[in-house]
Formats: sequence, structure tokens, C-alpha cells
Amino acid sequence: MLVTLVDLFSFLSVVLRAGTLVFQSALLGGVMFVLRTARYSPNAPADSIAQVQASSWKLLRWSAVGLAGVQLLYLYVDSAVLMASAGLPFSGVVGANFFLSGAIVLVAALLTALVAGDSKKVARWALPVLVLVIMSASVMTNHAASRLEQRPLLITLSSVHELAAGFWIGGLPFLVLGLFQAKDLDTRWYVTERFSRTAVWSVGALAASGLVMNILYIGSWGGILGTAYGIMVLAKATMLGALLVLGGVNFWLLRNFPKDRVMPRLRPLIEAEVGIGITVILAAASLTSQPPAVDQVSDTVTLAQVWQRFKPEAPRLAYRFIPESDPQTGPQVGPQTSPQTGPKFGEPIQLSGPQIVNVDGIPLTPRIINDSIESESNHHWMGLVVLAMGLLALLARTGKAPWAEYWPLLLIGIAMFIILFADTECWPVGWKSVGACFADPEVFQHRLAALVCVGFAVFELRVRTQKRENDRWALVFPLMCALGGAVLLTHQHAITNVKETSLVELSHVPMGVLAVFAGWARWLELRLPKENRAIPSWVWPTCFVLIGAALMNYREM
Amino acid sequence: MFAALSQCRRMLLILLLVAGATQVCLAHAVLMESTPKINSTVQGPELDITLRFNVRVDGSRSRVFLLAQDGISTALALAKQSKPNILQTHASGLKAGAYKLQWNVLASDGHMSKGDVPFTVK
Repeated sequence: MLVTLVDLFSFLSVVLRAGTLVFQSALLGGVMFVLRTARYSPNAPADSIAQVQASSWKLLRWSAVGLAGVQLLYLYVDSAVLMASAGLPFSGVVGANFFLSGAIVLVAALLTALVAGDSKKVARWALPVLVLVIMSASVMTNHAASRLEQRPLLITLSSVHELAAGFWIGGLPFLVLGLFQAKDLDTRWYVTERFSRTAVWSVGALAASGLVMNILYIGSWGGILGTAYGIMVLAKATMLGALLVLGGVNFWLLRNFPKDRVMPRLRPLIEAEVGIGITVILAAASLTSQPPAVDQVSDTVTLAQVWQRFKPEAPRLAYRFIPESDPQTGPQVGPQTSPQTGPKFGEPIQLSGPQIVNVDGIPLTPRIINDSIESESNHHWMGLVVLAMGLLALLARTGKAPWAEYWPLLLIGIAMFIILFADTECWPVGWKSVGACFADPEVFQHRLAALVCVGFAVFELRVRTQKRENDRWALVFPLMCALGGAVLLTHQHAITNVKETSLVELSHVPMGVLAVFAGWARWLELRLPKENRAIPSWVWPTCFVLIGAALMNYREM
Repeated sequence: MFAALSQCRRMLLILLLVAGATQVCLAHAVLMESTPKINSTVQGPELDITLRFNVRVDGSRSRVFLLAQDGISTALALAKQSKPNILQTHASGLKAGAYKLQWNVLASDGHMSKGDVPFTVK
């Protein structure tokens, strides 16, 4: 029970930390937006600004309520686990650092929800104080608070980093909402131009503080690719780079083109910024559950080990299990794991050759080897389908092969693959009945995933064949891509072998980042004016090709 | 993509099995050094125990248990912390055999971590 609670906590803590950071950033960005960016001015009609302000106050209140809800859950989960693991009464938990910090954030968030409103004069001075209190309390639950060395410096850098992220990324949803609410072009221009000024120095502060913190937390070049922490930092930096490109384009458009030409292009770009920005915050939350690389000197994966795991090899499209019943010969697996001829798919065989070991040199058991063989093969087949989807989408993009527009049909191929090979003991290929299979939650989830694939195939095919402008259904596919990528970036990290954790991250994180980019590139292709769609329309199929290639080289041993 | 996600869970299970009886570390308090050392052999029956972590830990809300090979687990009383990242305790009456120290610590930033230190008393 205790193990389950603590393991569950390690996953929940990432989710709750992500929720805290997202809502906290929204509060920081929202307060800056309502009190400074969207102020009344002679440059924009008052009634239009009033409309923007009203919607911003509403979003601010909901963000505060969201933060309070997440904190309540965080306090409950963390307290329950501590009481169970340390045998403490509730009164013993109350004095803990995390409890005090969480309680402060909870109260401040509730007060923010109460005072946020245009009619309340107290909001002008109380809101900045409240969000600073929230941010300071939140910093006390990140890495900086528990460090032994350079603690004041790290707390200061964390504060600057979170403040800048809030003003920029947290302010973006308010800007998007404002652009929707503003009645006229002048207001949209005024608000965007003022937001851009705040964003510029926020980006500078974010990058500078992030750079120094990463030097202190990673400590060596080897720690970047050799630890889960370093890999996540790399992913975060890559997405931040994409945000900077989008922000840079916005900045350039705002200063070089007239209002009427800029605004139709600006909104889709900012929407993509919001999506990638929230994913960056999710990645930051994932980082807080990882030990800093500098503390894992003895558990850092070497470049040779990374190369050994990821050097390009032929995909394992056919495989055979090794016998699990013979402990004498079990782990002996040779290079002939994919022989030219021989037993049928899945049939046990006797193999000889060097022992298969994990990253620490510990021999793997036949059961683990067989599971890995099956898993790798499934990934490789899936990679083949995703690669084909990407290549066909690229071909369709050239305009010379209209038939390639039917690439979503390959999603049905994925569905069939899941049904046939994800659970080989089940109907229609296995011995288990349909009823018995659906009673198994894992099988049920697989079959549901297959159904979702079919749904997407029909959806996307309809979108591609009808080619209607402003088809809102078309946005579902890119959103699901981006969401899938975000889930890959924040998935469970509680693996007992530290080096294997890093290698798992190294295989999953690039695919997550590519899926995020694919999703938002497709979003831009759909949302931008026709004459500006060229770049994103090439980017997302290319991401699919790269994801397919990564899946085809996926390995677990 | 969906199959890749579902495979992830299976892979995590495999990796949990791979780890064996070495140090377990969830979340981010990392055991940097211990007395006794992991998989070491020590002299009984009295044993001073020191655990040094990479971060500040909350000693009053952390626990160390001694698990004997017969399956009996004993909670060890922690001494007042000499340094914010160190936990110290003492075990007595140890007979020859295999033992495991099981630690559950609360880091100052609110993250909980757990781990094992297997050792043998000769």
C-alpha cells in the first residue's frame, strides 16, 4: 500500500506541479496584462478596452480558482503520503515546508479570486502583492530551496525565471483572449504592441536565469545527454527556441508591417506560442521531479552507452522468443536474433552468443529479453506506419500526387496492428474470448486506442478531401498530436534504475518534442492566411518522418 | 502513437524488474554516501548508521527502518541532525546475516524519496 502511494505520488506530483506552474504563470501574466498591458489609453477606444479588461479579469479569477484547487489536491496527496510513510499524525505534517508553502499559495490564490475585478480599487495594489507571495511560496518547493550550496543565488534565479515565464508565457492566453474580445483593429494593435514590450525583456530574463541555473544544476557536458534531468532541459530549451522563433516573427511583423496586414497573421502565431509555452511549463514541472544532473555523477550514462543503445540498426520486424524455461541457456542470445529462415513468428528458439546485459552490465532474464523483443518489434512496426504517413504527407504536399492525400488511411493500419499484435493472447489471433479480453483493463485500453485511431482516420480523411476553410474539426488532429507529445514529455519517471531512466527519456523525449512541433505546425498551416502556409506545411510531415525513424530505431536493450 | 504510449507502461514494468536489489531512488533526494556502504559487510552487533543526501532533508519527518532477513522491520530512532543533509542513527544487537536499511525521507522542497541500503553483518 505504502509503495503504491509513494509511486502514485511521484506521478501525481508532476501533474500537480504542472498545474501549479501553469496557473501560477497565468496569474503573474494576467496581473501584468490587466494592470499594465491592457490599460485605458487614448490610442484605443475605451469600450473596446473595457471588453478586453472584463474578459481578462474573468480569466484571472478562474486561474486563481484553478490554482487553489490544484494546491488543495497537492496538500491532500502530499500529506496523505507523508502520514503513511512516516507514521505521522496530521498535526505532525502541518509544520513541514511543503505544507506551509502550499497553504500560503492556497490562501493567496483564494484572496486573488476574491479581489480580482475592475471595480475593486484594492485590486490595484493587492494583486501584485498576492501574486508575488504565491510565486515566492512556490519557489520554496523547487530544487533551489533544498540545495546545500549557492542556495540564495539559486532561489533568486528561480524567482526571476518564474517571474519572467509568467509575464511572457502566462500572459499569452490573456493576449489571445484579448484579441478575440477586442472590437476593432486599433485595440488589437495597441494591446499586442504593449504586450510585445513586456515579452522582450521577459525573454531576456528567462534565458539568462535559465542558462545560469542549468550550468549550476547540470555541471558538465556529459550530464546533458547522460541524465534524465539533462535530457529534459535539452527538450525544454528546444521548445523555448521554437517559442523564440515565433516570438521573433511576431516582433518583426509588428515593427515592419501595417496593422491590417499583421493582425490576421499574428493571432495564429500567438495561439501556437500559447500551446508550446504550456508544454514548456509541463516540461519544467517534469524537471522538478528529477534529481539535478550534478548530483548523479556516478549514474550518468556515458556517450558510448548512449551510442550502444541508439546506433542505427535494422528494425526488428520479425522476431522469435528465447526459451524462458531453461535457466542454463536462457540469457544466451546471439546476433542471429532475426534469422533468415526458421521458426514461425513468436515461436521459441535456442540461441547462442554473448550475454545480453542492461546498461549496468547486469544480465537480463529471458522474460525481460522476450518482453523487450516484443516491445521493440511493436515500436518498429508502428514506426514503419508513421514513417509512411509522413512520407505520403510530404508527397501530397508537393501537389504532384493527389492520391497521397489519403495517408490518414494508414491510421486504420495502426488500429489493425493494435488489435492483432498488442495482445496476442486475445481474439482474433489468441485463445482468449472476446468477453475475457474486454474484461482486462489493459486490453480494453488497447482496443479503445484502436477505435480512436479509426475515428481519427475518418476525421482527417474528411478534412483532407473536403478542404474547407475555417473547418474547426480540422483542428482536432493537430491538438491531439500536441497533447500526445506533451503526455510523452511528462510521463511517469519513477524507474528504479537511474541510468535506464535516462535512456528511456532519451528515446521518448525527442518523439514528444517532435509531436508537439508537428501538432502546432499543422495548426499554423490551418490557421494562417493561405500565402503564409508554406513553411508549416512542410514542417509537420517532416516531424512525422522523424518520429517514424525514431520509432524504427527504438530499443530497450 | 497510442501503441507507443501503451508500450511505455510495459517498458516501465520491465525496467522495475531489471533494477534488482541495488539502491532505489524515486523523486530527487539522492543518497550520496552511507555507512554502512551499499552491499558491504560490517562487524556487529553495534552499528552506527549515517546517510548523506544531495539535498536538505527534514529529519523530524524522515524515517529509517532496519529490515532483517527474517522479515522483521524495526524503526530506528534518528539523532538530531548535525547537518541539514545528514541522517544518523544507531542499531544494536545485530546478529550475523543479511540486512537492509530502508529510508523514507522528506526533502526540504516537499519531495519524498525512498531507498534501500543492503548490507551484511558478519
